[in-house]
Amino acid sequence: MPKQFRCRPNQADLVSFRKSLEVIVTDQKADLLQGTLDMLLLKALSLGPLHGYGVIQRIRQMSGEMLTVEQGALYPALYRIEQRGWVSSKWGVTETGRRAKFYTMTKAGRRQLAREEERWDLLALAIAKVRQAT
Amino acid sequence: MMWLNTLKARLRALVRRDAVLEDIEEEMRAHVEMETQTNIERGMRPEEARRMALRSFGNVGRIRDLAYEVRGGGMVETLWQDLRYGLRMLLKKPGFTVIAVLTLALGIGANTAIFSVVNAVLLNPLPFAESDRLVALGQNEPGNRAALVNFSFLNFADMRDQSKSFERLSAYYNSNFTLTGQREAVRLRGTVVTAELFPLLGVSPALGRAFLPEEDNAGGGSEGRPAILSWECFQQQFGGESAVIGRSITLNNKSFTVVGVMPADFRFPIQAQPTQVWVSTAIDYERSIGPGSIMVERGYRGWRVIGRLKPGVTPEQAQAEVNVIAADLATRFPRSNEDMGIGVKPLLESMVGSLRPTLLLLLGAVCFVLLIACVNVANLLLERAISRQREINVRLALGAGRWRIVRQLLTESVMLAGLGGVLGATLAVWGMDLIIALSPEGITRIAETRLDARVLAFTALVTLATGVAFGLAPALIISKTNLAEALKEGGRGATGGIYTNRARSLLVVVEIALALVLLVGAGLLIQSLMRLQQVDVGFDPRNLLTFNVAKSVDSTTDPSQNAEFYRQLTERIKALPGVVNASVVFQLPIGGSGGTTSVVVEGQPVETMAIIHSVSPEYFRTMGIQLVKGREFTERDDLNSPPVLIINEALARKYFPNENPIGKRVRPGFSTIPVNDENGMREVVGVVADVKHYNLQDPPQPEIYFAQAQMPFSTMTVVARTATEPRGLVNDARGVVQSLDKDAPVYSIRTVEELLGRSVANPRFNTLLLGLFAGVALILTAVGLYGVISCSVSQSTHEIGIRVALGAQASDVLKLVVGQGMFLTLVGIVIGLAAAYGLTRLMSSLLFGVEATDPWTFAGVATLLAVIALLACYLPARRATKVDPLVALRYE
Repeated sequence: MPKQFRCRPNQADLVSFRKSLEVIVTDQKADLLQGTLDMLLLKALSLGPLHGYGVIQRIRQMSGEMLTVEQGALYPALYRIEQRGWVSSKWGVTETGRRAKFYTMTKAGRRQLAREEERWDLLALAIAKVRQAT
Repeated sequence: MMWLNTLKARLRALVRRDAVLEDIEEEMRAHVEMETQTNIERGMRPEEARRMALRSFGNVGRIRDLAYEVRGGGMVETLWQDLRYGLRMLLKKPGFTVIAVLTLALGIGANTAIFSVVNAVLLNPLPFAESDRLVALGQNEPGNRAALVNFSFLNFADMRDQSKSFERLSAYYNSNFTLTGQREAVRLRGTVVTAELFPLLGVSPALGRAFLPEEDNAGGGSEGRPAILSWECFQQQFGGESAVIGRSITLNNKSFTVVGVMPADFRFPIQAQPTQVWVSTAIDYERSIGPGSIMVERGYRGWRVIGRLKPGVTPEQAQAEVNVIAADLATRFPRSNEDMGIGVKPLLESMVGSLRPTLLLLLGAVCFVLLIACVNVANLLLERAISRQREINVRLALGAGRWRIVRQLLTESVMLAGLGGVLGATLAVWGMDLIIALSPEGITRIAETRLDARVLAFTALVTLATGVAFGLAPALIISKTNLAEALKEGGRGATGGIYTNRARSLLVVVEIALALVLLVGAGLLIQSLMRLQQVDVGFDPRNLLTFNVAKSVDSTTDPSQNAEFYRQLTERIKALPGVVNASVVFQLPIGGSGGTTSVVVEGQPVETMAIIHSVSPEYFRTMGIQLVKGREFTERDDLNSPPVLIINEALARKYFPNENPIGKRVRPGFSTIPVNDENGMREVVGVVADVKHYNLQDPPQPEIYFAQAQMPFSTMTVVARTATEPRGLVNDARGVVQSLDKDAPVYSIRTVEELLGRSVANPRFNTLLLGLFAGVALILTAVGLYGVISCSVSQSTHEIGIRVALGAQASDVLKLVVGQGMFLTLVGIVIGLAAAYGLTRLMSSLLFGVEATDPWTFAGVATLLAVIALLACYLPARRATKVDPLVALRYE
């Protein structure tokens, strides 16, 4: 059973690592992790339009079942990046014939994704360097 | 762009709230359904699949709210909700709401009223162009460099010519004039000014022109002596006809030409009784003192000086420059200027600086009253919170965040404060009128108190702060509950009880401490006022009528006629029924005027300043001033006999500490007539007891008395001692004056007791207001304590019931309850005494005859507060003794 990183909103703490490596993220304050969540959503949507449920599934899939985004974090984040103009939404029909709201990445979203990925790479590099330092 | 999107979303959320929520909900429904479908596909039964999907989704309502907030529903929506909810809660308990709003209105209203006075008096700029560059200048003495006293004209002129810090400098002094040639003689309040004054202030006349520089010289300019009228005088005396410009008018029997009329709102000097006519210094070359006119006597300090700093020059720089000038003058003219300094102060500061301690004290006091009001309302909120605890607990259990609850409770308290603020501002308008009506004349600009934008902004700020101040603690306490405990305790609702009671006790302690500080302040002021009123003024103030008479013919032209006029006047007044004695004096004590002159003692090097008097022979007997040595004046002390002088004990102490001053020779630097002795030396023939001249506080000043026949003034004050109520004499006295000189106005009719009342008007005003605030604080505190003890009694009915059932006597219960209240009181008193000990020294400049840390006042006030507190505890305690154990136990 792979360890799971779960991102979900919590009022109390900024970021805390509990005993089971569970990551708890507030939806307001943690710029770093919030930016990361935005990046995950944008990455999922970069492959094509999706509804909310589909976004969760795709992230699970892409992370090799290691990462689950909770609904409580997903929707506020989706609405937020929509407001920032990185995605647009419209109601449509799924392949099973169900009505759902589909999110499509915009040009601004693509640029943001590139920025976030670059930032993440830099951060990962920096952390790696710190960890390797003797 | 983003903010535009946000704004659009906010607006949409606000306007189409239901549609937005519906959209969110539908999306979430779709999500759950899709997950259910997946679960079914994984082989779950439909119901189980749905349950799992819902469970994994989490708290639907909460997520919806979070999502909604992101989509713009946040703040505004919640605020609106909270406002409506708060309003419902306030309406549900009208009794609570009314008491809370009234308490707050009292506190906020008092703050608004006092702040509006502070604003008008201390903060508002003076009504002149770039008034921050205006400064007042004055000479000062080594002992008191902070005080600005008047300049002599020559010192002023030297300073004006040497200094470079000032754009302009102007000298002026108040002098009243009799206007004749109209229907009847009128006394006008006048000011003699140098021509620089009007351009210095940056104000031009509404009609005509300002003074020309050459009009400062003897004889005036091409139009003779010039005069400028105030708008009020222009309307009242000249019917507002512009033809008055260029017309000749008669002031003090001299002709002047009206050259201008000032605008209606122009006032200078800024004083309670505004100036009606300004004249140039031309007149001063005709006012002689001793050898020359007052323009050339360096020892005659009669001029106030105002200056406009050059742009960029600070008062400190100007001060540094005039220090050099003062040192130079002191070296060149040691006789009159030894040790003299020159002070520079911003004009506004020089006018209102002395009022600052009083006003700040009052502002501090109302701030305390508001704090006490806040504490009381916080107490009420906490009491109500106990009954609301269940509601809050349920909401917390259902997932409301603590911040959300606090925000809602704060909205409620700010609403309460808002209501209090609106009512308070209304009360303040009325309070301002009251304060202005009560205020003594001395508080410059108080009549300009208005509810202007700055005051309203202050009120709004205070209101908001008040709402948070009294709302925050209760909100935090109520929302901090251990849920498990709370729900277990169920219906009893006493969960928050322990916090709540502790908080309420703490609040009561704070309240008592605050009230104690206020009461100590008020107690000290009351003591000062009482001591002030017991001060020995040096004469008998009862049954003395005084009024001023300005002879229409200038005395200096015919001294003997002047003396004869006042001799006849005194005789006729004495002959009136009910009059015991009468005399005339120049510069009545406590009358508000204080002209001084330099005095040189033969054989001593340095001058001193002394207050000038000129009196008729029976003056000392009329006033009841004791003759200490030598003799009084007689009718024979006139221009044909040797010039004589009577001095007071203060002057005798200063110059003749170990000798008998009688027979010594003294030269005053001042005379209204040419002195016949070449040196102007006068022989001291008597020493009289000191009297209080300027006010009751200050120690006696050196004074000299001339015989009226040897030192004539055209304006004298008549004092008449009566056997009956002195005011009854006014008409007869006026008749006597008219019969002797129909053009001599009679004015400033007052009894000496009225004058004394006026001289303590400032301290009485302070005492009255601070006493009022302290009284309000005491009542609020008593009510607060009463509320806390009653509430605690009703909460512990059960406990008391058990105690009674187990055999406790009524006295035991009484002791228990009263003991609880008195413990809080004592803690509050101890804290309050410590705080008062630290704070009262700030008001020591307002005290007279009593130390800021007077132990008797502290002890007395603490006792008073303890007694009131005892009463406030006793009433609920008595109720506790009536608890029927059966009822109490069943009640639970």
